[in-house]
Amino acid sequence: MITEEDFTNIYNSYASKVHRLCLGYASGNNELANEWLQETFIKVWKHANSFKGTSAIDTWIYRIAVNVCLGDLRKSQKNIPMNEEVISNSKADDDNEINEKNIKKMYHCIDQLNEQNRTLILLELENIPQATIANTSGLAHGTLRTRLSRIRKSLLKCIKNGK
Amino acid sequence: MENDNLNKLWENQSNDISNYTPKDIITKAKKQRNGQYINITIMSATVIILIVYAFYYAFNQWNTFNLGLLLMISSLTFRIILEFYTVYRKENQLISMDHKSYNTYLKKYYKIRLIINYIITPICILVYIFGFYLLLPYFKEYFSNGFYTYILISGIISLTIVIAIIINSIIKEQRFLKQLYEG
Repeated sequence: MITEEDFTNIYNSYASKVHRLCLGYASGNNELANEWLQETFIKVWKHANSFKGTSAIDTWIYRIAVNVCLGDLRKSQKNIPMNEEVISNSKADDDNEINEKNIKKMYHCIDQLNEQNRTLILLELENIPQATIANTSGLAHGTLRTRLSRIRKSLLKCIKNGK
Repeated sequence: MENDNLNKLWENQSNDISNYTPKDIITKAKKQRNGQYINITIMSATVIILIVYAFYYAFNQWNTFNLGLLLMISSLTFRIILEFYTVYRKENQLISMDHKSYNTYLKKYYKIRLIINYIITPICILVYIFGFYLLLPYFKEYFSNGFYTYILISGIISLTIVIAIIINSIIKEQRFLKQLYEG
C-alpha cells in the first residue's frame, strides 16, 4: 500500500502533465480535463497495490490517463465546448493574439486526428520520452518514431492551412 | 511554423489545474471504495436471503406468490450483478492495458454491452414484469382498492422510467461504439 506522502509526491510530479494531456483530449475544455485528471489519480490511489512495477510508474500513470480520456462516454457528444479561459489565460506576450489563434487551431487540428494519433502527439508534446510513449500506447519504438514524425508534419500543415 | 514551435505553442497554454489537493483525491477514492464495499455487501446479503428463502420457505409452500416474488428479485439481482461485474472488469482492464489494447477491448466491451442491452436486459425486464403480474391477484385480495391501484400505477411508472434510462444508455453506448470504430 502506498502512503499518502508517496501519493502526494506522485501527484505533484505528474498532475500537470496529465492535466494538459487531458486538456488536449477534451479539446481545451478545462472542466472536463480537470474531471479526467481527478479520475486518473483516484484510480492511481485505488489500484496502487496492483501496480506490479513491470513498467515505470510514469508509464502506468499515463496509461491510466489516456485510457480514462478514451473511455469517457461524454466525449462522444459532438462539439465539446472549449473553455475560452484556457486560451485567454495563456502567457501574455506581444504575440498573444497570434498565440491564442494558433492554440485554438492546434486544438482543432488535434481533434481531426484519429484516437491513437491524438494520444501519441499529446504525449509527445508533453516531452514524454519516446520509450515511455511506446509502452503507454502499445506500439513498437520504430513504428512510433515514424508515426510521430508523420503526425507532426500533418499537424503543422493543418495549423498553417487551418484545416 | 517549425517543429520546435509546436512544443512551444503547446507549452504556452495555461495549466489551470483545479484546486483539488492530493488529500481531496484520497478522500474521494476512499469514499468510492467504501461505496463499492457497501454495494457488494448489500448485493451479497440479498442473494443469500434469496437463496435461504427459496430453500427453506418458498419451496416448501410453493404458490404463484412465491414464484412471482422469486422471479422479480432474481431477475433484478442477476442484472445488477452483471452490471457490477462488467464495470469491475472494465476498470481492471483500464489500469492494466496499454492504449492500443484498451481501445480494442473497449470495442469488444461495447459489443457485449449491446448484447446485454438488446437481449439480456429485455429478458430480465419481461421476467420482472411477469413476476409482478403473478403478485397482482394477491395484492388485490389482501390490500384495499386504493392501495392496489397505487401499487399498479407506481409499478408501471417505475418500469417506464427504468426502460427510459436503459434506452438512453443504449443510445449513448451505441454512439460511443460508432466513434471508437471511426477513430
